[in-house]
Amino acid sequence: MGERAVSRRLALISLMAIAMIVVPAVTSLPSGISGVKDTGCNCHGTEADPSVTASISGLPESYNASETYNVTVSFTGGPAIDGNANLGGFNLWASGGTLATQDSSTQLWGPSEASHTSEGNDQRSWSLVWTAPESGSDVDFILHTNSVNGNEGDGGSSGDMWAKAQVKVLGFGAAELPEADPFKVLATLIMVSGVLLSIVVLYVFYRNNPEGFEWQRFAPWITEWLTSTDHKKIGTLYFVQGLFFLGVGGIMALMMRVQLASPGNEFISQDYYNQFFTLHGTTMIFLAAMPLIAGFANWIVPLQIGAPDLAFPRLNALSFWLQPVAALLIFTGVFSGAGADTGWTGYAPYVVTENTHAGVSMWAAGQIMLVASSTLTGINFLTTMAVMRAPGMGWFQMPLFTWSILVANLMLFLSIPAFGVGLIQVYLDRTIATAFYDVASGGDPLLWSHLFWYFGHPEVYVVIVPAFGVISEVIATSARRSIFGYKSMVYAMAGIGLVSFIVYGHHMFTSGMSPALRFITMLTTMLVAVPTGIKIFNWLKTMHGGSLVYRTHTLWTLGFLVTFTLGGISGMFFPSMALDVHLHETYFVVAHFHYVLVGGTVFGFFAAIYYWYPKMTGRMLDERLGVLHFLTAFISYNALFWPMHRLGVVGMIRRTHTYYITTDDFQALPEWAADWNMLISVSAFLFFASNLLLVVNMIKSLIRGEKAPADPWGGWSFEWMTSSPPPTPSFDPHNLPELKDANEHVANEPSRLGQMFRRLMVDDDASEGGSH
Amino acid sequence: MSNKILGRDAYWMNFYGLMLLTLIEVAAVGADLGSTAEGIGMTERQITLWILTVIAIPKFIMIAAIFMHLWGENDSGILTLTALFPAFFIIIMVLFIGMTHPDGGTSLPDWCRPGTYGL
Amino acid sequence: MSADYHDHDDHHPSPWGPHDWGHGAPHNSWSPLILSIGSGMFLLTLGGLFTFGEYDGRYLPMVFVSLCVMAAALIVWCRQDMSFDGSYEPRSVGVPFKNIQIRKVGVWVFLMSEMMIFSSLFSTYMRYRQGIPRCDTVFESGDWVEGVAVTCFEPASKLIASSWWHIAPGAINTFALIISSFTVVQALRWANKPVGSVDEEVRRKRVYRYLAATWCLATLFLTLKMIEWFIGFHVPEIGFLGLHEHDIHSLYSEGYLINNDHYQAHHYVDEATGAHMVANIQVSATLFYVTTGTHGVHVFGGIIGLTYLTYKAWTGAYNPQSAVSIEYFGLYWHFVDLVWVLVFPFFYLY
Repeated sequence: MGERAVSRRLALISLMAIAMIVVPAVTSLPSGISGVKDTGCNCHGTEADPSVTASISGLPESYNASETYNVTVSFTGGPAIDGNANLGGFNLWASGGTLATQDSSTQLWGPSEASHTSEGNDQRSWSLVWTAPESGSDVDFILHTNSVNGNEGDGGSSGDMWAKAQVKVLGFGAAELPEADPFKVLATLIMVSGVLLSIVVLYVFYRNNPEGFEWQRFAPWITEWLTSTDHKKIGTLYFVQGLFFLGVGGIMALMMRVQLASPGNEFISQDYYNQFFTLHGTTMIFLAAMPLIAGFANWIVPLQIGAPDLAFPRLNALSFWLQPVAALLIFTGVFSGAGADTGWTGYAPYVVTENTHAGVSMWAAGQIMLVASSTLTGINFLTTMAVMRAPGMGWFQMPLFTWSILVANLMLFLSIPAFGVGLIQVYLDRTIATAFYDVASGGDPLLWSHLFWYFGHPEVYVVIVPAFGVISEVIATSARRSIFGYKSMVYAMAGIGLVSFIVYGHHMFTSGMSPALRFITMLTTMLVAVPTGIKIFNWLKTMHGGSLVYRTHTLWTLGFLVTFTLGGISGMFFPSMALDVHLHETYFVVAHFHYVLVGGTVFGFFAAIYYWYPKMTGRMLDERLGVLHFLTAFISYNALFWPMHRLGVVGMIRRTHTYYITTDDFQALPEWAADWNMLISVSAFLFFASNLLLVVNMIKSLIRGEKAPADPWGGWSFEWMTSSPPPTPSFDPHNLPELKDANEHVANEPSRLGQMFRRLMVDDDASEGGSH
Repeated sequence: MSNKILGRDAYWMNFYGLMLLTLIEVAAVGADLGSTAEGIGMTERQITLWILTVIAIPKFIMIAAIFMHLWGENDSGILTLTALFPAFFIIIMVLFIGMTHPDGGTSLPDWCRPGTYGL
Repeated sequence: MSADYHDHDDHHPSPWGPHDWGHGAPHNSWSPLILSIGSGMFLLTLGGLFTFGEYDGRYLPMVFVSLCVMAAALIVWCRQDMSFDGSYEPRSVGVPFKNIQIRKVGVWVFLMSEMMIFSSLFSTYMRYRQGIPRCDTVFESGDWVEGVAVTCFEPASKLIASSWWHIAPGAINTFALIISSFTVVQALRWANKPVGSVDEEVRRKRVYRYLAATWCLATLFLTLKMIEWFIGFHVPEIGFLGLHEHDIHSLYSEGYLINNDHYQAHHYVDEATGAHMVANIQVSATLFYVTTGTHGVHVFGGIIGLTYLTYKAWTGAYNPQSAVSIEYFGLYWHFVDLVWVLVFPFFYLY
């Protein structure tokens, strides 16, 4: 390595350092805990009574760390004292420190919550001991007192009166901590990621040819990437985009988890929280999962079917380039301070009201472009797979990954126009003030839900079915045998695809839609478990009959089988309408769809990365880092999402920026919910960090990885016949590979359907295909 | 290209046919069908809708078959199947979205009213 | 990742200029990137131009710039295709499209998506049409109060089908589209005549004249649409027609507008009391303008395609080898015609 190369490297490193310093520092400290709901005591009447006055004495203006204070709570007023069996009760909650009892008249409901005992309900004043926390942040005390008349006969509560008091004890120094605008944090992190990405791009350019490094070569190099129509280059671009936005969406999730780590937190206000979960959903589905799938589809499908490229390479480039521009539109809201706050579902009529943030218009506009992109991708892939299979490859000789992409694209292609039309309606409503969802003019909000979920439900299968394909490929290769039940796998995927269009109503059970539709979609949703179950058992049977080689992608596949099955089982609670109404809008739903989307799609595509990375780059990934990645990610992932089931069942509501574990508010969660939430938040950070291992692994292996052979895993589909990385065009168009089958006479025997097709097909000797 | 209808060139015949059907459509809207409608127990608007729908179907088929070459060419059969592929999904969409307005029940015939999908 | 731009290409097609189709599929192109940026800019600036119906003229220049960017990208795209002479026309292998041109299959797949788009729009229409009571039903029921707007459905056909003159633009448009479908297939027929059976100059003229005629008919379609929506027209005094009215109002001047929540029509006056029924017809107007407008956008897209085809035909590029390009455009164009076959009765007549 020449001196010059070293200086370039130093220049790049210093550039990176400067970027890190110049980018504004991030200050994100929570402002403390507040905001306990004040709906008050709901067992003794719903309204506070002004004749009762509650008070807390013995608390300092500001406390010293860990010091002990004697606290007295008391009240005056209310029903007459004389002749009452009982006098009153109280509930005291502190947001910090610990409470302790002094005598048998009080009892603790938690480390920082106390109430009276049955012995203590004959008095109007109680004493407690409060030990101040060490942290120094402000502490809120919330006291509810109840003045009772003791009439036990009619349930004991008539004539009772209650009051509430709130005291803030200042901490030392915590008050000066500045508050950060969560969007500034997010925007800064996105920009840091962007800078890092550009540095990686420059570095890749440099590594590309360190000896002949010259800046004059940069323009043609980058032009090649910006204008390329080669399916492999576009696949790589999709892949980079997908991973980048997986990171961005992850950062948003982490910020939400910081907010949810403790009850009553105010790090992110409800207003910001709305925007965070909206953008998290939209980013993860449309800008992370779909590009990752499209990236692998671009790379692998032409190689697997023996095609030189896709059918329409320039349209393919257009499909890709629409995506980053769409991403910019979707994120305009973040950079202007008013992001979309409608949820990724963007339910009408809220989405078209002027109360929404300005970013919603561009959020819709960006998604319109994504719809255009997906439509073009659909045209391209469907045509390619239908017309460009290598000689000898019939439909039932296509590898299962290609089949999964076919089914997924078919679903996407036929459902996304509904979404596009819905989005255009929303966009027009928000710009030129059409009245599609204007309730005052007779607009029907349910129409949006219908159009959205007509697309939305096939869409969630669009992101999971390609993962099925990956798993089928990996498990067959790793088990060193052909997949068990190939045809049933294909029929199962096609069945999932068909059924996906008639189940979408289960997202709308609580919306008041047509009762008949509810009944139909309930039944069909239960049907989905059948083809999915077939696939699971086929995979198990493949392993059973084979002899498994444990590589990293095998581990991810096994992980997928566990988590996806769990996610599938939790999904079977929802079709039942009665149960759905209970679980609707709780963290049980969140747990379910993260189990299938992360444990299904993301795990599947991690397997795909480990499986096909050598083919794409010609370098092997580091197996030790890979196994470490799998172990840390699998454990932290389960710790992250499993507790959400339990939180959901006890009623923790999604799309709400915080939750409460105290006060007698009936929506409050049990005390242990706070601990589980903290565990979830910590696991979220661990999961994010463990995925950085993958990025490190990919970059490290790209530079120093062992050179990969053409077929490192012993796979036998067409892509392993090409060199690693494959040439351009991937196969010689004038000398296409031919698929031969040992049982040719059986394999090429057309089925009944095939015979029908054959009668309709154009003969080889037809003059100029159609003779116009 | 060599297709003939009644011994004449297919494109021209198709063209004449489409013009004729469109004229009938416009005439059906302009003409006073009130007395005819009463005779068979419908309102004038209903009978117009029926005429329009019934005429739209052959127009649709004529354009698809002749102009879009879904009839009489080597590749017509398989491309017709391709064109018909979305039919199932369109039917689902029309049934589930187009015909389930909560207030729509009163203005629909019994057989397609929400809540009575023959169940 | 290590591809060097000049290493594996023995020919150097420019990403801006004509492709070398002799080497197979297209190579590099700036067009997709520029087209994406242009369409992104268009949606962004359109969102600035109108916000909930509020017009802000400052964004108008940017809208034009974005349209220019898109036009530039399309020009690059077309320029690369000008060199296409039909020698590169791959055909399908295998079941079931064997021996059919790949691009033809692609067009049919694209039309599937178009079918779903118009199904969505029609489903929207059916839902609202069934869900909202008709204005004349409400009027006849007497269930309204003077001065208070009632929400009801007023189909555009109420105005359009009210007289022969009102329906004239829509009816002429129907014929225009059918004739244009016919001219496209005639252009295809002339381009397809076997070499030697027809003089090449005659072929060139026939093909480009038929395509130019299609272009004119498509433009006529959009012009008449503008007249019907916004401009209206005047009918001169012709004795034997016995006209009641001479100024045929456009839908705009009749107040049939997406933002009109106080729609008053002369036929909603109670003759006994002289009271006017005021209606909120925003949903009906929205459905009419957006559905027919979507169809209009497809016609406009067709005009752009026709401009390229006509120019290329004028240069004499179409012969039996390359005629299929006209057929692919024709498939799209006939589909637009098909949609009109449904839009016309249900939005203009019923």
